[in-house]
Amino acid sequence: MGAPMETGKKKMRRFSGYRILEHWGIILSTVVLFATGLCQRFWYVDSAQWFILKMSGIDNVRLIHRCAGVLFSFELILHIAIAVGGIARGRWGPSMFIKKGDLQDAVHNIRYYFGLEEHLARCDRYDYMEKFEYWTILVGGVLMMGTGAVLWLPTFFTRVLPGESIPAAKALHSNEALLIFLINAIWHIYNAIFSPEAFPLDTTIFTGDISRERMLREHPIELAAIEGVEVEELLGNGHKEAAAVKPRPEPGVP
Amino acid sequence: MKQGMKLILGLAVLLMAAASPAVHAGDAELSAESLKCLQCHGKKGSFFKLANGDSIPTYVNPAKYKVSVHNALACSRCHTDFSADAHPARRFATRDQYRMRASAVCRGCHAAEQIKAKPIHANLLLREKEGISSICTDCHDAHSGNPVAGGKIIKSEKQYCMSCHQHEMSMTCRNNEKIPLTVEMSTAEDNAHDKLRCSDCHYGFSSEEHPKRNFRSRRDYTITASESCRRCHFDKYTKTLDSVHYTVLSQGNLSAPVCNDCHGSHVIHHITRGVKGRTITTQKCRKCHPGVYEVYAKSVHGNALFNEQNQDVPVCIDCHTAHNIDNPLTLEYHEKIPQMCGNCHANPAIVSKYGLSTGVLNAYLSDFHGVTLGLYRKQREQLYKPARPIAVCTDCHGTHNITGAASSDPVVVKANLVKRCQKCHKDANENFPDAWLSHYKPSLSKYPMIFLVNTAYRIFIPLMGLGFVLQIFLHIWRYAVNR
Repeated sequence: MGAPMETGKKKMRRFSGYRILEHWGIILSTVVLFATGLCQRFWYVDSAQWFILKMSGIDNVRLIHRCAGVLFSFELILHIAIAVGGIARGRWGPSMFIKKGDLQDAVHNIRYYFGLEEHLARCDRYDYMEKFEYWTILVGGVLMMGTGAVLWLPTFFTRVLPGESIPAAKALHSNEALLIFLINAIWHIYNAIFSPEAFPLDTTIFTGDISRERMLREHPIELAAIEGVEVEELLGNGHKEAAAVKPRPEPGVP
Repeated sequence: MKQGMKLILGLAVLLMAAASPAVHAGDAELSAESLKCLQCHGKKGSFFKLANGDSIPTYVNPAKYKVSVHNALACSRCHTDFSADAHPARRFATRDQYRMRASAVCRGCHAAEQIKAKPIHANLLLREKEGISSICTDCHDAHSGNPVAGGKIIKSEKQYCMSCHQHEMSMTCRNNEKIPLTVEMSTAEDNAHDKLRCSDCHYGFSSEEHPKRNFRSRRDYTITASESCRRCHFDKYTKTLDSVHYTVLSQGNLSAPVCNDCHGSHVIHHITRGVKGRTITTQKCRKCHPGVYEVYAKSVHGNALFNEQNQDVPVCIDCHTAHNIDNPLTLEYHEKIPQMCGNCHANPAIVSKYGLSTGVLNAYLSDFHGVTLGLYRKQREQLYKPARPIAVCTDCHGTHNITGAASSDPVVVKANLVKRCQKCHKDANENFPDAWLSHYKPSLSKYPMIFLVNTAYRIFIPLMGLGFVLQIFLHIWRYAVNR
């Protein structure tokens, strides 16, 4: 995405300003959606009821939830449109697409955790964990958007859909919401804040910058492509222990 | 010695007891004059004609006269101018005129001071000052002349009061309505108040006191009389203060029911348990709510009560309660409805024998409408926020006209349901009611699509969470090892 930018020796540009803004938008809309949605899903819990009353009633909570839903849907549609448009026009490669190598990377990393491998898997611009998170949220987001619309306007949708689709939409909406919430609350928050490598906060998505050292550790394939060298060469220079475990896939984003 | 004394005392008491009726009734022979008069007047069938065409029987019961307090008096002592030889012709316009004249004769011997000694007479004498004349023979038989109790010894207050109130009498209100004062004492065993004295309810009245009361109307009297119930039934009385009936009454609608209207006055039954009692209560409500009663009687509940003597079905008071009846048109009442229906429909002991699901209440409460209803109630209680009405049981099933869904044509049920939905969801079509899963919890046999979605997530979400947590621990562990 963003062009590499030499800020001293160590800093590299990873995200453009638009992506930083987009992330802020997603934070805002999802925090509001989770707060106003989870209290509706777990309405029988005391704290949920406390929150609803603090928000001055369930009608307000639903209204805010729907407004945030509209904002989220707008962000989602814009994101898909830009991604599809960008790829179609060749401005960037399909770096988020899931590849066969991602599964191998996952197996490799688990072996590494158990001490069966020497080093972490060599990843491209996005590693398999980031891809998993991205796609579950993207697909989940589309699902939430659709089912949310059905729940918002049930009489409109039952003109074409069977009546049973409303409780089905409710089941999907609330379960998928919980799934996305858990991915965010456990996985994303760990990786971005509590992971020993990121603590106290992985600032890349807020500043757009990443250190070359981290690029080398986490995204060596992309770094090699940026610097125009082979992965083995790059790791040979910067990372003595590291050795190439797989051939370099097609080039990442310039 | 002591034994002897006791015997003598006992005999003396017996003797006195035997002697007392003789003293009271008198045993004297009738005078010659009286016997002569009775030769004609002791026979039934002759009448004295009044000027207005009315007639008075001239019959005097010789047996009663013989034992009366006036038996020693000759007839002419009261019927002056009459004797064995003289029988002058008299003319009276009306029966009342005759009776007033006759009463004046009594007063010749019984002076006002003597009569006044009894409070009931004192009141009557007061009325005379207002121009209302008292007629002795209204209460005292003319020729037996006994005390109003009929010569019996009065043993109880009730007996005392009944000695007058067994007779036909009435009180006139300011609006000229008459209140009958005749009391029909129940001899039935189930009279709940058979141990009470009259003055327990009619406080202020006794053998000594008989205050004068003046009511605007008969209804006013009934309402005032109901106030006396609270002296014993204070718990019920305070409940009625919260009822819609009391609210309506206090707004000036005197037709609103008070205690007496449902419970009666002098004949108050014990609560009857079982179908009979439950049926009786519906009849009380029917008096004022006949329309609702008719609808109820045709409903699945009413039909079972009246035709099958079913004890499980609700009667009026099961939903509306008996004393603190809420206004059913308020939101507060509306909010209580699911719990009301749930009292039976979530109770396996009641509904399972009819093949009905007991899960309906929970299914409702955890669905959109039920959750919203619960939150609206909390909002109203804690934020004083007026809530909007939201569909409860009766909005879809009806209230008094509930019919059984199983016995009806499914097409009709669905068509009716669409109409119910459209009350709130204006543009709902025939697909829309299917969104309601007939209160069933989704399962493989009922609504499998929803069941499978839920099950899939129920398996996948914990697995995924577990995977994340494992990976995090492995990550931290490896990080620690590397250091």
